[in-house]
Amino acid sequence: MEVLNSGDGELFHMPDPDGHREYIRQNKARALVEKVMTEQEAVSRLVNDGDYLCYDCTILMRGPSSLLREIIRQKKKNLGVGGRFTFMVVNLLLGGDCIDRVDIGYIGIGRALDRIIAKGIRIAEWSNSALTMRLLAGAQGIPFIPARFLGGTDAFRYSGAKLAKDPWTEKEVVLLPALNPDIGLIHVNQCDVYGNARIFGPSVSPVEIATASKKVIISTEEIIDTEYIRRDPGKTSIPYYLVDAVVEAPFGSHPGEVAGLYRSDTNAIMEMLRATGDVTGTAMDQYLQKHVYGVATHNEYLEQCIGLERLLSLKQQANIKQGYYI
Amino acid sequence: MTKASRFTQAEATICCTAKMIEKERESSYWVGGGGTPMTSALLAQKLYVPNLTVVLEDGVIAPQPDIPLDPLMMFVSAKVNYRAAAWTSMNTVCSHASLGFFDYGILESLQIDPYGNINSSLLGGDYYHPERRFGGAGGANEISSLCWRTIIHTDQEKRKFVKKVDFVSSPGYLDGSPGAREKAGLPNGSGPYRVITPEAIFGYDEETRYMKLLAIAEWVEVEDVLEKMDFEPMIASKLERLELPTEEELDILRVYISPRGGAIDAGNWIEL
Repeated sequence: MEVLNSGDGELFHMPDPDGHREYIRQNKARALVEKVMTEQEAVSRLVNDGDYLCYDCTILMRGPSSLLREIIRQKKKNLGVGGRFTFMVVNLLLGGDCIDRVDIGYIGIGRALDRIIAKGIRIAEWSNSALTMRLLAGAQGIPFIPARFLGGTDAFRYSGAKLAKDPWTEKEVVLLPALNPDIGLIHVNQCDVYGNARIFGPSVSPVEIATASKKVIISTEEIIDTEYIRRDPGKTSIPYYLVDAVVEAPFGSHPGEVAGLYRSDTNAIMEMLRATGDVTGTAMDQYLQKHVYGVATHNEYLEQCIGLERLLSLKQQANIKQGYYI
Repeated sequence: MTKASRFTQAEATICCTAKMIEKERESSYWVGGGGTPMTSALLAQKLYVPNLTVVLEDGVIAPQPDIPLDPLMMFVSAKVNYRAAAWTSMNTVCSHASLGFFDYGILESLQIDPYGNINSSLLGGDYYHPERRFGGAGGANEISSLCWRTIIHTDQEKRKFVKKVDFVSSPGYLDGSPGAREKAGLPNGSGPYRVITPEAIFGYDEETRYMKLLAIAEWVEVEDVLEKMDFEPMIASKLERLELPTEEELDILRVYISPRGGAIDAGNWIEL
C-alpha cells in the first residue's frame, strides 16, 4: 500500500498486535476470578509510572473521578493520557504532576491549559474520533484502521497518522495507528465481583477502552450478584475477562453526574473550573490539597469535602430514571 | 409571527440558525458541543421541528432534551440525552457520519479563513510553543470532514475572520484547489456551507470555494461587515437581508431553553 504522507507528531504508543497478544496470554486471568479491591489497592497494584491512560466517560458524567483522584494521591508519574472528549482531567493530572505526554483530541478549557506548554508536556494532535477509532483498532488487535477524516489539516500534520492510497478504491484514505492503553479506567453503573459490568446510557468509548487496554480498572456505583448478570446477559457491556480490578465506588463520579442516580454538582464543578482557570497553578494546588491529598479515601472525600446533605440533595435531584434503572 | 426589536447577538445567531433548520426540516444535524450550536437545535426542535434528527458526539441519537438544561451541562447529561431514539457511542455516530447519514454539522470556532478552514487548537507561536493553547480539534474535525455540509457559528470580528488560521484543526476547502478535500482522504462532495454571525451569513463561491457574503443584518451595511474581517470576501450579486429573530423565538429561548441565561447572553444587545 502506497503511503503518501505522514503526520510529524510523536506516536506515544507503537502498534504491536503480537506484543499485545503475548501480554494478554501472560497476564490476564481467563477464569472467573473475584477481583474486588479498594481504590488504593487497584491503583497501587495496576497503575505504574509511565503508563498510558485512557478513561470513560468524562469528569462531568459517569467518569472514574475517584480512581483519578487516587492516581493523583499516589503521586503516579510520567503518565500519558488519551485526551478524547476531556474537560478537566488533563488539568487535574497536570496539577498533580502525573503526566508527561498527551494525545490531544479535546483537552478542555481554562487558561491553565497553557501550562501544558509551560511544563514541557509532550503533545500530539488528533481529534476525538481519531482517538476512539485508534482505540477501536487496538480493541480489534489490528495495527491500524482507515478513516475518512483528519486528513488535510494541521491536526493530521501534528498527529502520528498517515495518508495512503487504498488498494481497492485507489483513493486517498487516512490510516490511524492502533492504540492499546496500558491502563483503562471505566466507571460503570453495575458490576459483579468478577468484572461483568453494565453501563447505562450513551457513552464515548468504554467498550473500546476496556477491550484495548492491557490493564482495566472498573469502578462501579454498586456491586451486583452475578445471578443478575446471568439472567440478563444482553445488558452486559464489558465481560469479566477484560477486567483486572473492580472497585466499589458509590458517588464515584462526583462532581459529575451518573444519570438515574445523582445529579452533577454545579458548585463543585465551578470550584474545579476556577482551579483550572488559574494559569499560575496555585489554585489547582489548593484544589488538590483539599480534594485529593487532604483525604485518604473516596469515602473521606465524600464525607469531608462534600457532606451527606449535599450528596442526598444530588441524589434527590436526579429525577430522570427512564432508560437507566427503569 | 412578530419581529423582535431587542435581542442579543447570540440570540440573533441562534434564531437565524433555527430558521435555517426549519427550512431543511427533513435533514439531519450533527451538533458539536454546547453553546449556540446546541441552543439553535433546541430552539428549532421546540418551535419548528419536534422530531428533529439531531445527533451528538457521545452517541446520543435524536434526543428530546429535558429543557432547561443545567448550567455547564449542555451535553453529556441525562437532561440532554432524554428520550433519545438510541444511545450509542462516539464511534457509532462517527460511523453513521462516515456513511453519509448526516447532512449538516453545526460548530463554533475561534478562527476561520477564506476557504472555511477552522481553528480550535491554538493561537500564536507554533505548534510546540503556542501563545495560547485551546482544547483541540475535538469532534469538529470529523464533523467538518464527514457531514455533507458544515455550518460555522462565530462572531463578526477581524480576529476571527483571518487570511490564514493559526492552525487548521478542522477542514474547510483546505487550500481551495479543486479536489483538495478528496486528495486529503475526505469523502467526495462534502464541505463547508455557511458561516453565521450575528450580522451576516456567508457561503462559498461554487467555482472558487472562496467565502462569499450572502446576507447581512438589518442594522448593518456591507462596509460594517467587511470592516470586521481581515480578508475581503466575495459578495453575492444579490445580497439578502437576514430575517430578524421573532418574539416567539425569543420567548422560547428566554423562558424554556435558557431561563438562567448562558449561551443566549453572549455578545452585545441589539436594539432596533
